[in-house]
Amino acid sequence: MRPVYVLGVGAHPWGKFPDKSQLQLAIEALTAALTDARLGWRDLQGLVAASSRFEGGMGWGLHANEVMQAIAENGAPAINVGGGCAAGGIAVHTAATMIASGECEVIAALGAERMPKGFIPRPPGIPDDITDTDYLRWVAIGATNPAYWAIEARRRMHELGTTAETYAQASVLMHDNAVANPLARYRKPITVEDVLASAMVSDPLHLLEICAVSDGAAAIVLGSEAQARRLGVPLVQVAGSAVATGRFGDPAVRIPTISMNADPTVQHTSEVGGAVRAALEAAGMGPGDVDLLEMADNSAWHVLAWPELFGFLEPGQADWMIERGELGIGGKLPVNPSGGFLSFGEATTAQGVLQVCEIVWQLRQQAQGRQVPGARVGLSAVLGLGANGASVVLKS
Amino acid sequence: MTTSQQVPVADELFEVSVDGAAALVGSRCTGCGTHYFPKSLSCRNPRCETKRVEEVLLGRHGTLYSYTVQGYRPPALFGMDPWTPYAIGLVQLPEGLRVLGMLTGCDLDEIRIGMPLRLLAEPLYRATDGREVLTYKFSPLHEEETS
Repeated sequence: MRPVYVLGVGAHPWGKFPDKSQLQLAIEALTAALTDARLGWRDLQGLVAASSRFEGGMGWGLHANEVMQAIAENGAPAINVGGGCAAGGIAVHTAATMIASGECEVIAALGAERMPKGFIPRPPGIPDDITDTDYLRWVAIGATNPAYWAIEARRRMHELGTTAETYAQASVLMHDNAVANPLARYRKPITVEDVLASAMVSDPLHLLEICAVSDGAAAIVLGSEAQARRLGVPLVQVAGSAVATGRFGDPAVRIPTISMNADPTVQHTSEVGGAVRAALEAAGMGPGDVDLLEMADNSAWHVLAWPELFGFLEPGQADWMIERGELGIGGKLPVNPSGGFLSFGEATTAQGVLQVCEIVWQLRQQAQGRQVPGARVGLSAVLGLGANGASVVLKS
Repeated sequence: MTTSQQVPVADELFEVSVDGAAALVGSRCTGCGTHYFPKSLSCRNPRCETKRVEEVLLGRHGTLYSYTVQGYRPPALFGMDPWTPYAIGLVQLPEGLRVLGMLTGCDLDEIRIGMPLRLLAEPLYRATDGREVLTYKFSPLHEEETS
C-alpha cells in the first residue's frame, strides 16, 4: 500500500436550492474540487459516489456513472456506495484504497443531496410488516429521528447531570463556528436564550438543537504522492481511513430499531467508534494526536457525547469544557469548526465528504475566520442509518 | 385479545389477553438465550453459532431507562386521533432487552427514569373501516399491582 494525498477539495454551499437538480449540485462540487487540484475532467481515473437515499435519477440515488455520463464520458470506473448518511465517509475511504492499492493515480469521491423538508420520512418500496422496523417505529410509536437523540440526551442528563443550558451552549458553539464559513447554511450567532426559546421538538431537544436538513454537495480528489508533488498542491495526506458496522450489545438507541440488546460493556455507537479506532490505528495515532474533530452532530447531545464515547474525552468532561470554551476553535479540542450539522446544515450522504473537505481547508490553514491555530491532524466521524460508520484521519 | 372491532397496528407485533394485559411477540435464541423484538430472522450474537430462534412472549413488565416527549406531530404514517403531545419511553425489560414504546397512564411531568412499568394495548385511532387500531404502550405500575 502506498500513501494517499488530497489533490483538491470543493463544495457547493449548504441550504435549500429548489431550482438545482442533485446532478447539478454534484457537478458544481466536483468541478470545484478538480479546479482546486488544477486538474481537468480528462484526468479523472475513477469516481466514487456516496449514493443518496432520497432523490436520484437512475434507480435510487446519486450514481457516479450518471455523473460521468452527464459531464465526462471518459470510460473511467464508477463506484456507487451505500451506507445511509455514512456513505460520504465510505466513499472517501473507498477512493483512498483505490489510490493506495495502485489501481488509480487520480480519483474523486463525491456526495450530493437534496433533502425533503422537515422530519425525514420513510423511503418507499419496503413491505409494511414486522420485518421492517422503520415501518414499526412510525406506525406503532411515531418515533421521529429527534426522538431517538432526545432519549439519549435525557439519559445523559440523568447519568452525568448535563443541563438544558449546556445542550443549548453546544448549539451556540456550532452557530458561532459557522458565522465565518461561506458554505454554511446558518451564519447568524445565537444565544443560549435563543436556543431555549425555540420550539421544543423532542424534549429535552429544542428546534435549534437538532440538525437542519439541507441541500448540498461536496467532492474530494485524491491521488498518489507523485501526483500531489507534480501538481504542487499543499501536501495533505490521508493518514488513515476506515469503515465499520455496529457491534452486538451496543447500547445506542439506533435509528430505526425499536429494541436493543444493551450491554454496558460494549462500545456505544460502535459503528462510529469502531471506524474511529481503526482509522487512528491505520494512521499510527491515538486520540491525543488529533487537533480537531469534524463529526456528525445530529443534535446538541452528539456535540457533547461523541468526543467522550470515542475516547477523546472522559464521560462528562465535554460539559465543563464547553462551558470554558475548550471545544471552540481556540480550545483544547475544537469540535466542528465548519459549524457542524447544527449550523452548517445536514445534507446526509454529502456530509461525510464535506467533513473531509473542511479538515483539508483547516490543515492547509485556509479556513478563513474559523481557522484552528496550528492544525496538523484532523479526524472525521460519521454515522449512517443501518449501523454504518466511517472515519477519516488527515495530516499535513 | 383484540375484538373484531379492533385491529393491531401491525400483525405479530404484540398479543392482548382477555384481561387487557399485553405481551410483545419476540424471539429467543435456543443457543445463547438472547431475546429479540420484534421477531428476528436469526440470532445476531456473533459468538453464537446456533442461530436458531423460537417465538416467545416478552415485555409484560419493565422499568423506564429514558424517555422523550414528542412535541410535534410525526409524518402521516403514524396515526393518532386526537393528536396530543405524548411520551416515548425506552424501557429496560427483565429479558435483557430495551424496547421503545409509547407511555400512557400518567401526566407528562410525572415521568421518572427508573419507574416500574407494565405493558398494555390501547387504541391509537379509528381506521376508515371503523375498527380501532391498537398499539402497545407502557403504563406506570402502581404499588398495589406489584403485590
